[in-house]
Amino acid sequence: MMFTWAWVLPLFPLIAFVLLIALRDVIEKRLAVALSLIGIGVSFGFAVYLAWIGVFQQSVIQTAKYQWFSIGGKPLYLDFMLEPLNIVMVFLVSLVSLLVQIYSMGYMKDDARIITFYAYLSLFTSSMLGLVISANLLQIYFFWELVGLCSFLLVGFWYFKPEAKEAAKKAFIVTRIGDIGLLIAIFMIFQKVGSFDLRVIQDAVGSGVLTGGALTTVAILIFVGAVGKSGQFPLHTWLPDAMEGPTPVSALIHAATMVAAGVYLVGNLFFLFAGSEVALTTVAYIGGFTALFAATIAVTQNDIKRVLAYSTVSQLGFMMLGMGVGSVYASSFHLLTHGFFKALLFLAAGAVIVALHHEQDIRKMGGLWKHSKWLSIPFLIGCLSIAGIPPFSGFFSKDEILYAIQLSGKKDLLVIALLTTFFTAFYMFRLFYLVFAKKSREKHEVHSIPWSMKVSLAVLAVCSIVGGFFSFPTTNLSAETITHITKLPGHAPLWLNGSAVGASLLGILLATFLYVWRQGSAEGLAKRLSWLYQVSYRKYWIDELYQVVFVSSLKVVAWFLNGFDRFVVGGIVRFVGWGTMSIGRLGSMMQNGQNQTYVLVSLIAFLILFVSLVFGRLIG
Amino acid sequence: MNALQHWLLSLIVFAPLVGLLILAVLPSRKTSWHRTIGLLAMLPSLALCIYLYQRLDNGASGLQWTQKVEWFHIGEMKLFYHLGVDGLSAIMLLLTASISLFAGIASLYITTKTKLYYSLLLLLEVGVLGVFASQNLLLFFLFFEMTLVTLFLLISGWGGLEKKKASYMFLLYNGFGSAFLLFAIVGLLAFTSTLELDQIKAVFAQVDLGGLPPEATTFVWGIFLSFMIAFAIKLPVFPFHTWMLKVHVEAPPPVVMIHAGVLLKMGAYGMIRFGAGLFPTLFAQIATGLMILGLIGILYGAVLAFSQKELKSVIAYSSVSHMGILVIGLASLTEAGMQGAIYQAVSHGIISALLFFLVTSLVERTRTTELIELGGLAKQLPILSGLLMVGAMGLLGLPGLSGFVSEFIAFLGVYQVNPQIAIIGSLGFIIAAAYTLRALLKVTYGQAVTRFQHVQDIQVREWLPMLLLVILSIWMGIDPDWIGNQLQQTIQIGG
Repeated sequence: MMFTWAWVLPLFPLIAFVLLIALRDVIEKRLAVALSLIGIGVSFGFAVYLAWIGVFQQSVIQTAKYQWFSIGGKPLYLDFMLEPLNIVMVFLVSLVSLLVQIYSMGYMKDDARIITFYAYLSLFTSSMLGLVISANLLQIYFFWELVGLCSFLLVGFWYFKPEAKEAAKKAFIVTRIGDIGLLIAIFMIFQKVGSFDLRVIQDAVGSGVLTGGALTTVAILIFVGAVGKSGQFPLHTWLPDAMEGPTPVSALIHAATMVAAGVYLVGNLFFLFAGSEVALTTVAYIGGFTALFAATIAVTQNDIKRVLAYSTVSQLGFMMLGMGVGSVYASSFHLLTHGFFKALLFLAAGAVIVALHHEQDIRKMGGLWKHSKWLSIPFLIGCLSIAGIPPFSGFFSKDEILYAIQLSGKKDLLVIALLTTFFTAFYMFRLFYLVFAKKSREKHEVHSIPWSMKVSLAVLAVCSIVGGFFSFPTTNLSAETITHITKLPGHAPLWLNGSAVGASLLGILLATFLYVWRQGSAEGLAKRLSWLYQVSYRKYWIDELYQVVFVSSLKVVAWFLNGFDRFVVGGIVRFVGWGTMSIGRLGSMMQNGQNQTYVLVSLIAFLILFVSLVFGRLIG
Repeated sequence: MNALQHWLLSLIVFAPLVGLLILAVLPSRKTSWHRTIGLLAMLPSLALCIYLYQRLDNGASGLQWTQKVEWFHIGEMKLFYHLGVDGLSAIMLLLTASISLFAGIASLYITTKTKLYYSLLLLLEVGVLGVFASQNLLLFFLFFEMTLVTLFLLISGWGGLEKKKASYMFLLYNGFGSAFLLFAIVGLLAFTSTLELDQIKAVFAQVDLGGLPPEATTFVWGIFLSFMIAFAIKLPVFPFHTWMLKVHVEAPPPVVMIHAGVLLKMGAYGMIRFGAGLFPTLFAQIATGLMILGLIGILYGAVLAFSQKELKSVIAYSSVSHMGILVIGLASLTEAGMQGAIYQAVSHGIISALLFFLVTSLVERTRTTELIELGGLAKQLPILSGLLMVGAMGLLGLPGLSGFVSEFIAFLGVYQVNPQIAIIGSLGFIIAAAYTLRALLKVTYGQAVTRFQHVQDIQVREWLPMLLLVILSIWMGIDPDWIGNQLQQTIQIGG
């Protein structure tokens, strides 16, 4: 089937953005929100339609391409692709964006700049939709950077908060380090292949134009880009800080947009990775390490949003691990289910924060279970899902990743994955118990939750429950496609299912023991394992390390060059200048007047000469 | 039609002089009249430039819209008044006419000696337009000098605290540059006995530079290097950048719009036209060295921009960095690199004009550009802050704005011939993000400074032209072919 309308997907949210920014001072708030919802609503409508055609009817969707501009005489095209992976991403992005926008009607209703907020949200959605349907590397990079811009704008939305300002800056710069990897990969591909077109590049890989060391380098550089965007070690530091943005933004960034982009990119360009064992191994180990590393940090954090942030880093690492062992299917499936339950967890956490008058420290929370089922049940669903308890969606997708690892035969990675599962269950239920179970130390008057927030929570909760029963769409292998998504052969053995669920239950059990049955024993344990606790609580001192190694060294270099510029480069100038001045002084002993006058006089004389010469000749 | 064919370029170049004549007879007290006349006098050139640009024949090789009239002769040698354009000249003319008008609009806060100010601004425009339209080297040189003198007067008359020092440093450096330029021109005259650009080109096309006697080879190298040094100072290429920083900081911001937006590009134009255009083989031999200088400029400028304490200096050092990108693109001698370099000239013109327009409005309200004294302006000045954000994004090369397209294409070209330089240079993108955001966030984000509680946001007469610049930048960033189509010929000459 031919669908030449791919470009309208990002268009409507973009129009909403332009209208809202242009009219933000004159338009009424409700109208602005409505416009924004219409923009994303139209995109969501298209997404449902595409999902119907492309996933349920399994027809291959062809798209049109348009001439864009030319580089060095070579024409470039705007090119789109709507293969199952793209359609699923379009669906996820537009659904979560729509729900986040509905949710924000309640969450942000008292903010004076709500129109700007909706404008940025729309731009974010538009960029992300553009990204996931692009079939051209330059086009991908274009939207890739716009996604980065939007996260910068939204993380720093409360621009007057110094922390928000720093977090926004960090998000932009750290992800840009990764982007340079992607950029160099693009240069390299263009040099070897002479095109940005994914189809052409795929052919080049197939026909042996791009192979061996070059292919490995390209794949790893692209992965560097993904590492930046998806918060993988060692470029993960921006993600937890990005929590300074309003909570709906966190949900959007962590579930459907920004961070999903990296995993999506690896999945979409998997044909580059597939040809290089080294690249795949790199992806797998970086992913596995990040998964475990972030999970161990999440265990000791006290800010509700930071716990969730580290859990995102960890889960993204899990997805990368899945990619690295060769299963786009398993990882994309987890990307989808994670999109649902992470959005749910963030939005529920946002509701908790609102209900408790903007309290984010979980040590000061507690006993919310009784207060509001609208908070506690969605949150519990999210926790069960991320912990991988059947039949919640996280169980199914996590299971596929574990199975993929087992099939790859990398035992060490399997151990890492199971350990991560254990830690994940533990910190999520630690969070759950601290917020909902134990008695509150401080009396809170709990706010009621507006309907808009309830709607979003309910939809996401349903998705988190049933999401796992749909299997991820696979590509029609007889058609010419860029991404090949195939199911794993057979089913995971029972012992694997058993140990995964067992690890989760063990984690939940430990959390229950420490935070419900023996309340207060956690502090004692932290004291006894003081150095371990510190390592985790201080996040392995990575931030401090970067501060010293990169930021300070740049400052030192800058300081040094500043002196060089002033005294060496500038010194030569002064010396030459002094020489000229001395000669000038010698000359001016004979005539004393103002230099400016002289210049003016000579200018006028020059002009007269010039004009008369020119026009005299032309006319005469 | 035929008369227009001949006269169009002369009209474009000299139309602002009409304003100059009217200004001359106006009383010096009528400030608002000066402004009106000044701006009106810039319009015809712009309109004609747009017309010319649209009517340019993309497929044609060689010059278009030429006007060649015998001017005078010295002995046997005839000198011609010869104007003409190709794609490169046409885009530079269009850029000049539009940036000049924007600078004129931005001059609304100039209140002293307005009669002289607008007269000089018009003269400056004539000079720059002439530079880009001249096809005769003497004519080129005269116009080139004209920009020098007018800019000197503008800086020394309306500049900041250290205007004297800045204007003399400007004159000193550019005087040296002119000396080299003059030497090169005289050398060419001696070598080819003509000052007509097309004739010189024809001579060099026939000469086998390898087969010349050693003295002649040295002589030709001397001419070539003199050209390159003259334009390297103008661009400026590291380490000739000191004067440009001073001008950026001390000249009145509307004049900096022209300075950074157009005047620096005369350096790029000269390098393409006279360096790579006349001496392609020699240019190829120094290309690697030039690329290394460009690379140093990119990183050096970026790191220094990161450490500046004052907003205008940040932008000034970022210009050093951005001109470095232009240089490596040019020196890559690839079609993509050349295209990227020209795009960079145009894009940097638009973005610097926008940024210095914003600085004009900012200074008028805060009376300072020291970063430490600014902060939280987004609250009081939302429109200005929003536009500053766009300008900053342009500066750090965000896709969707013109800076990305030009830098991306330039680097793509460089990567094809010298991947190491492209890879090291791309570190500049990271540092660019760091210095831009550092400055931007310092000015507009954070706690509002109480001193600025009562400042008013910018008005239509300020934000509308700024918005036009933004639209230009976005247009070029999304659909760069409206420039590229006219450039095919030029790019291929370089490639």
